Amino acid sequence: MSNTSTMVTLTIDGIRTEVPEGTLVIEAARQVGIMVPHFCYHPKLEPDANCRMCLVEIEKIPKLQTSCSTRVAEGMVVRSSVPHVESARKSVLELLLGNHPLDCPVCDQGGRCDLQDFSHEYTPTVSRFKELKRVFPKQYLGPVIETQMNRCVSCMRCVRYCDEVMDAQALAAEGRGTITQITHWAGNELECDMCGGCIQICPVGAITSRLSMYDYRPWMLKRTETICSYCGDGCQITVQRKDDQLIEVNSALGAGRNNGDLCVRGYFGYHAAEHPDRVQQPLVRQADGSFAEVTWEEALDRVARQFTRIKATHGSDAIGGLITTRCTNEDLYLFQKFMRVVIGTNQIDSGARYGHINGVRALRRVQGTHRWTIRYEDLAQADAIMLVGTNVNESNPITALHVKQAVKRKGAQLVTLESLLPVRSTVSNITTLSKHHLEVKSGQFSAAILGLVKAVVESNLVQEDVAREAPEFVQTIRTNVAKVSWDAIREQSGLSQTDVETAARTYSQAERAVVLVGREVLRSLGGEGLVTNLMDLQILTGHLRRSGSGLGCLAEGSNDQGAVEMGAVAEYFPGPAGLHDEESQKTLTRTWGQAVPAGAPATLPEVLTRARTGDIKSLFIVGDNPVESLPGDAGVTEALDALEFLVCQDLFLTETAKRAHVVFPACSAMEKDGTFTNTEGHVQSVRQATEPLGESRPDWEMFSALSVLMDHPIEYNEVKEIFKEIRGVIPGYGLLGPASTPPKVDEKTVAQYVTSGFKEDVDQRYTLDASPAAPEGALTLRLVQSLYHSGKYSTRAKGLMEIEGEGRLHVNAREAGRLGIEEGQTVRLANDGGQATVSVKLNDRVPDAVAWFPEHFDEPVRALFSLKVDPHTHVPVWKTAHVTVTKWSSTNRSIEERSRV
Amino acid sequence: MKTFEKILLTNMERPEYTGSLADYEGTGGYKALKTVLGKTPPNDLIEMVKKSGLRGRGGAGFPTGVKWGFIPKDHPGPKYLCCNADESEPGTFKDRQLMERDPHQILEGIAISCYAIGAQTAYIYIRGEFRLAAKILERAIAEAYRAGHLGADIHGSGVTVNVSVHAGAGAYICGEETALLESLEGKRGKPRTKPPFPATHGLYQKPTVVNNVETLANVPHIVNRGADWFASIGVPPKSTGTRVFCLSGHVKRPGNYELPVNATFRDLIFELGGGMRSDKPLKAFIPGGASAPFLTPDHVDVQMDFESVAMAGSMSGSGGITVMEEGTSMVWAALRLMEFFYHESCGKCTPCREGSSWIVQILQRIMNKQGRPDDLRTLTEICENIGGRTVCAFGDAEIAPVQSTLKYWRNEYEALIEEAEALKGSRKEIPVLSLA
Ligand SMILES: Cc1cc2nc3c(=O)[nH]c(=O)nc-3n(C[C@H](O)[C@H](O)[C@H](O)COP(=O)(O)O)c2cc1C
Ligand code: SF4
Ligand code: SF4
Ligand code: SF4
Ligand code: SF4
Ligand code: FES
Repeated sequence: MSNTSTMVTLTIDGIRTEVPEGTLVIEAARQVGIMVPHFCYHPKLEPDANCRMCLVEIEKIPKLQTSCSTRVAEGMVVRSSVPHVESARKSVLELLLGNHPLDCPVCDQGGRCDLQDFSHEYTPTVSRFKELKRVFPKQYLGPVIETQMNRCVSCMRCVRYCDEVMDAQALAAEGRGTITQITHWAGNELECDMCGGCIQICPVGAITSRLSMYDYRPWMLKRTETICSYCGDGCQITVQRKDDQLIEVNSALGAGRNNGDLCVRGYFGYHAAEHPDRVQQPLVRQADGSFAEVTWEEALDRVARQFTRIKATHGSDAIGGLITTRCTNEDLYLFQKFMRVVIGTNQIDSGARYGHINGVRALRRVQGTHRWTIRYEDLAQADAIMLVGTNVNESNPITALHVKQAVKRKGAQLVTLESLLPVRSTVSNITTLSKHHLEVKSGQFSAAILGLVKAVVESNLVQEDVAREAPEFVQTIRTNVAKVSWDAIREQSGLSQTDVETAARTYSQAERAVVLVGREVLRSLGGEGLVTNLMDLQILTGHLRRSGSGLGCLAEGSNDQGAVEMGAVAEYFPGPAGLHDEESQKTLTRTWGQAVPAGAPATLPEVLTRARTGDIKSLFIVGDNPVESLPGDAGVTEALDALEFLVCQDLFLTETAKRAHVVFPACSAMEKDGTFTNTEGHVQSVRQATEPLGESRPDWEMFSALSVLMDHPIEYNEVKEIFKEIRGVIPGYGLLGPASTPPKVDEKTVAQYVTSGFKEDVDQRYTLDASPAAPEGALTLRLVQSLYHSGKYSTRAKGLMEIEGEGRLHVNAREAGRLGIEEGQTVRLANDGGQATVSVKLNDRVPDAVAWFPEHFDEPVRALFSLKVDPHTHVPVWKTAHVTVTKWSSTNRSIEERSRV
Repeated sequence: MKTFEKILLTNMERPEYTGSLADYEGTGGYKALKTVLGKTPPNDLIEMVKKSGLRGRGGAGFPTGVKWGFIPKDHPGPKYLCCNADESEPGTFKDRQLMERDPHQILEGIAISCYAIGAQTAYIYIRGEFRLAAKILERAIAEAYRAGHLGADIHGSGVTVNVSVHAGAGAYICGEETALLESLEGKRGKPRTKPPFPATHGLYQKPTVVNNVETLANVPHIVNRGADWFASIGVPPKSTGTRVFCLSGHVKRPGNYELPVNATFRDLIFELGGGMRSDKPLKAFIPGGASAPFLTPDHVDVQMDFESVAMAGSMSGSGGITVMEEGTSMVWAALRLMEFFYHESCGKCTPCREGSSWIVQILQRIMNKQGRPDDLRTLTEICENIGGRTVCAFGDAEIAPVQSTLKYWRNEYEALIEEAEALKGSRKEIPVLSLA
C-alpha cells in the first residue's frame, strides 16, 4: 500500500478504522474482522454488485447499499448486522435458493460452498418456496470443464474473471432473467486458455472440473502447498489428494507469486506424475538388450563400479553429466557437486543451455547480476512494458497475467515485438492489448532490436547524462547503427522505420519501463548478443539504473534460473561464479573439503561431440532427453550409442533412457521436497505432496548413494541439509520465498562495460547478418510452445492431452486458402531433411507464409529440422525450417472427430 | 377544461404536414438551431433549459438542465448525447408518433442539446421493433445533413454534430439508461451499478447525457420562445410545459393527447378520451406506464404533473395512462403486468430476477384457484425485499402493480384464495413430505 494515499476514517459496526481513500466498504470491513457475506464480489474483479448479498446500512443514506461497490468516505458509519440488513440478506438467500436444485450431496462444491455456508447461517431449514424450479438441460462445454447451470447464482464472477483477468472473453451469459445461463460462444467446443479460473472463482458448484467430478468430498482431501513445475513462473499450487490419489490442484487467493491464478498446465496438468508409464523400478540392461527390473542395491552397485572403472582407466574427463532444469536446486546442486567432487570433471551441463543461459550471461556481463532487477510488482507500476520475442502467454502465462493487469488496470503502454498477429479469439492474445505491436518476421529479432537501438540513437532519445558520461559508448553504437539502413532493417524484420521509432519513443519516454525477453531471442543464434543490445538500449535510455525499470529474461523451465545459480552449467560454479573465480574456488574447496577440478568444462553440444569422438565414454543423464530435444541431424543417438556406459535417471523410459545401460527411477516434483528459483529470482519451497511412485527416489538421494559406493561419501540426512550448504556457498539463498527487494545493478560492472567492456564485440553485435532467404514457395515451419503443454513431460498429463492431444500444423486461413488446404485435412511437409504428414488446424494468429507446430509433439516432424549451434554460447538452435506443403488427403478429420464426440 | 396551446403535436396535427424537411422548415424549423449554434454560449443554453423547468419525459422526471449541468466542462475527450427512443413501457407510445410524424423536431433538439453539452456525437437508440420510425429518422438525418443542419461546421458555426440511429434488439431493459449504454457499446444490455453516473462515465466511459425523445423535442421550442414562456405552462416552477399523454385501455378514444401537465386525469380520460368505452364505470387506471402503481376513481381529479401524481401515491412516469373498467380482475391485471416484468427482467440482480419469477408463479396459482392463505403475506414480503434493493429502477417498477392492487383490491385476491380453499378437498393434491 503506498503511503501517499489519503486515509479515511470510518466506523463499521462500532469499530473505528482508518483505510486508504477508495477502499471498498466490504474490504474495510474485512480488515477489521467483519466478513460481509457476498457472492459476486471478488477482490480480483471490478465490482458488479449484482447478487445484493452484501447490503449494509450506511448512515444518512436512505436505502441499503452494496458494500462491494461503495467506496469509503470520511466519517461514514456502516452497520452490517442490524436486523434490517440481516433480513435483506436472508431474503437474497431465500430468493437464490428458490431456483437452486439443492443437490449438495452430489455437488463437488459441497463442503466449501458459499451458498451452503451462508444458508446454514441465515436461512430456516424449511423453505416457503413451493413453486416450480427452473431447470437447464445439460450442455457439453468442453473436455475438461463442465457446467451445472441449475446451481448457478448468476454472480458473473466466471464471466468477469475470464474477461477482466484472463482477457480471454470465452464465457458469456445467455438468456435473460431466471433463464440466464453461463455458456461459451457459438456451438463449438469451449476453446479458451483453459486456466480453470472460472472453476476456481465460482462461489458455488456451477462450473467444475471434469477431471475430478464426483470423485471426492472436500473434507476428505489432504492438502499440500508446493510449486508448479511446468514453467519458470513458479506458481504456488495446493495439491489435494484423497489417500494417495491426486484429486485436484488449485491455488488460493493471495497464494504465491500467482496470487491464486493458474494456467492450464498448473490447473489441469497434475496427472503427469501418475502416468502408468512411469518407471517404478531400477532397470539394468541385459545381454540380450532388454531391461530387467533390479533392486536399488544392484543398480547402484553396477553404476558405481562402472563409473569407478571408467574413471580409473580413462580419467575423470571420460565421464560427463547432463541434468534437466525440472530438478530442484538441491538436486542440481548435488549433481554438479557429485560430478565435480566424486567424478572429478567439469563436463556438466543442463537444460539452461537451451536458451536461458544466453540471458544470464548478458545480464552478468552488463549489469553484474544474474537475476532480474525488477519484480512482478514493477510490472504493475510500469508506464511502459516491452515484450521482445516472448510468446509470454504460452511460455510464462502468469507473467502474462501480470502484463495484462498492468495494461488493463493501470494503463501501462504495451509495446510488443512478437512474431504473431494481433487477432482476437476466445484464447487470449497479449498483442491485442498492445499500443504498438511490431510484427517481427519469424526469427528476425536481431534486425528488430537493432532497429530499436538505431531509433533511440537517431531520434535523440539518448539520455543526456549517458552521452556525457560514456561518450565513446554512445558514439560507437551511433557509428555502427548508422551503417545499417532502415531499408535493410525493414527487409529483414518486416518493420518500418516509423513503427520502430514510435515504439522506441514510447519505451524511452516512459518513466518506468520494463522489458521482458523470451525464447525467440534467448533461443536464437547470437542470443546473448541480442540481450546485450537490449541492455544497451536500457543504458542509452537511462532505464538500466532507474528504479522500477529493468529487463527480465523469461525462464521457461521451472528451475532454469536455479540450474544456472547452482552451477549446473558448463561455464559456472555455484553462484553462478566463473570457473576461474578464485574467491569461489576457495569457498568451494573449503566447503567440499577438496579442490575443484581443473579440467575443461563441456557444454551440451560439446558433451555430445566428445561422446561421439570417444573422448567421453560414459554419460550420466538426469531427466534430460537430448534424443527428443534436438533434431535428427544432431547425431545424439550416434553419440549415445558410442558410449561405453550410459546412466539415465528419469520418470519415464524416454528415447534417451531407452539407450541407457542402467535406468534409475526418479521422483516427480510432487513427490519430493526442495526449492525452485523462479524467473524473477525468488527461491520457493517445493513440498512433497504424494508418496513416491513405486521404488522411485528423489534425484539427490541417488547422487549421495553413488558417492558412498564410490568411496567418496557426500551424505545428507535430509534435503534441508543440502539447502543449508547451498546457503553457505551462494549469496541470495538466505531467504526462502519472495525476496523483499530485487537485486540492484552493480555500478562497477556497468561502468566497466560502458567504458571498455562493450568494445569486445560491439561491431559484431550491430551488424546485420544476411539471413538465408526461404526457398521459393516454401513455408517457414516453426516449432512453438503451446499454452497447453510444457516440454514433453506434459504430454503425459491426461487433462492436457484431452485439451490438446496431438500436434497439428497451424496456419492462418489466408495461407490455407493459398495452399488449398482446410482444417482437419492431412498435408505432407517436405524438405531436404525428410518428410512428414500432419493434419491442419486453422489459427489466425499465425503470420502469413508461416506454419506453427507444437514442439511437444515434434516427433513426426523432427527430421525436417537441422541443428545450428551458437558458436559463442553453444545454445542449440533448430526450431525453424523451410518446408513445402502439399495436400495429402482430403479426409476431413474434424467431421470425423465431431461425430466421435 | 381551460384552453391550451399544443407545442409538440401542433405541426403534425395539420393535415397537410408530412414531416419532411421542407414542411418542418416551413413552420420555422431549424431556426432555433441557427440562432444559437456558435452564438449563444453553451452554458447559457443549459441555464435556459434549467430555467424552463423542463423535466425528463422518459420516466424519472429528472430536471433536464440540471442533468446537462453535470457534464464536466473541461473534459478533454469526447462526450456523447444519447436519445432514448427505446420506448417499450407498456401503455406508452408517444415517442413513436413524435419520430414518425415530425422527426426533424427531434433532430433539431438533438443538435442544440449536443451543442449545449459539448458533444459532437449523438446516438438515437431506437426500439428494435420501430422499423418505420427508424427508417423515417434515417431519411430525415440524411436530409438534415444535406441541408447542413447536421454534420461538420453546421451553418458555418464551427460546431460539429453527427447523429446516427442504432436499433435495439428487443429488450425492454435497454430503455434503462445504463443498459442502453452497454447495449450501444455492443455488450449485453444490463444496467450498470451507479455511481458512477453517465454524466461522468457514460458511453465508452465518457461523459454522456441520456434524454428521452420527447424531452429533446421540447428544446427547440424553449429556444424559440424562451424559458419563461415554457415555465409559465403547467405547474411552475416544478412541473412545467406540456406532455404527450398516451391514453389506452377501456376508453372510447385511445391515443396520444398533448396537454399541459396541470390537466387532470379526468380531462384526459373523460374529455379528450371520450370516457369509458362501455357503460361500465371506471375501476382503475395506471397513471404513468406499467411501472406506475395503479390509481382508483378517487384519483381522477388529480393533476398529471409529477408532484401531484406522486402525492397520490403513484408516478406520472412515462405518461402512459391505461384505463380499466369495472369488471376487470385486478389480480389478473397484476399478473399480466407481472408476466411482462418477469419476461423482461434482465437477470442481473438477485431480488428482481428471482423475485419476479416467484411472484408470477404465485399470481398464476391464485388466478388458477390454487392460492394459499399465506400467499398474500409472501407476496407482500417478496415485494418489500425487491423494493430499493436492486441495481436499477426496474425492481421498484415491477412491484408497483402487485403492491398497488394488494392495497386497493385485496378483497379480490382473498376471494380467489377462498375459492381455492373451498376447492381443496375436491382437487387431487400432490402429497408433500413435511418435516415441520
Ligand atoms: C426499466 C426501465 C426502462 C426504461 N425505459 C425507458 C424508455 O424506454 N425510454 C426512455 O426514454 N426512458 C426509459 N427509462 C428511463 C431512462 O432510464 C432515463 O431515465 C431516461 O431515458 C432519461 O431521459 P429523460 O431525463 O429525458 O427522461 C427507463 C428506465 C427504467 C428503469
Ligand atoms: S479462459 Fe477458459 S478456463 Fe479460463 S476462465 Fe475463461 S473459460 Fe474459464
Ligand atoms: S457459474 Fe458460478 S461464477 Fe459463473 S455466474 Fe454462475 S455461480 Fe457465478
Ligand atoms: S505452468 Fe507456469 S504459469 Fe502455469 S501454473 Fe505452472 S508455474 Fe504457473
Ligand atoms: S432490477 Fe431487474 S432489470 Fe434491473 S438490473 Fe436488476 S435484474 Fe436487471
Ligand atoms: S457482493 Fe455485493 S452485490 Fe454481490
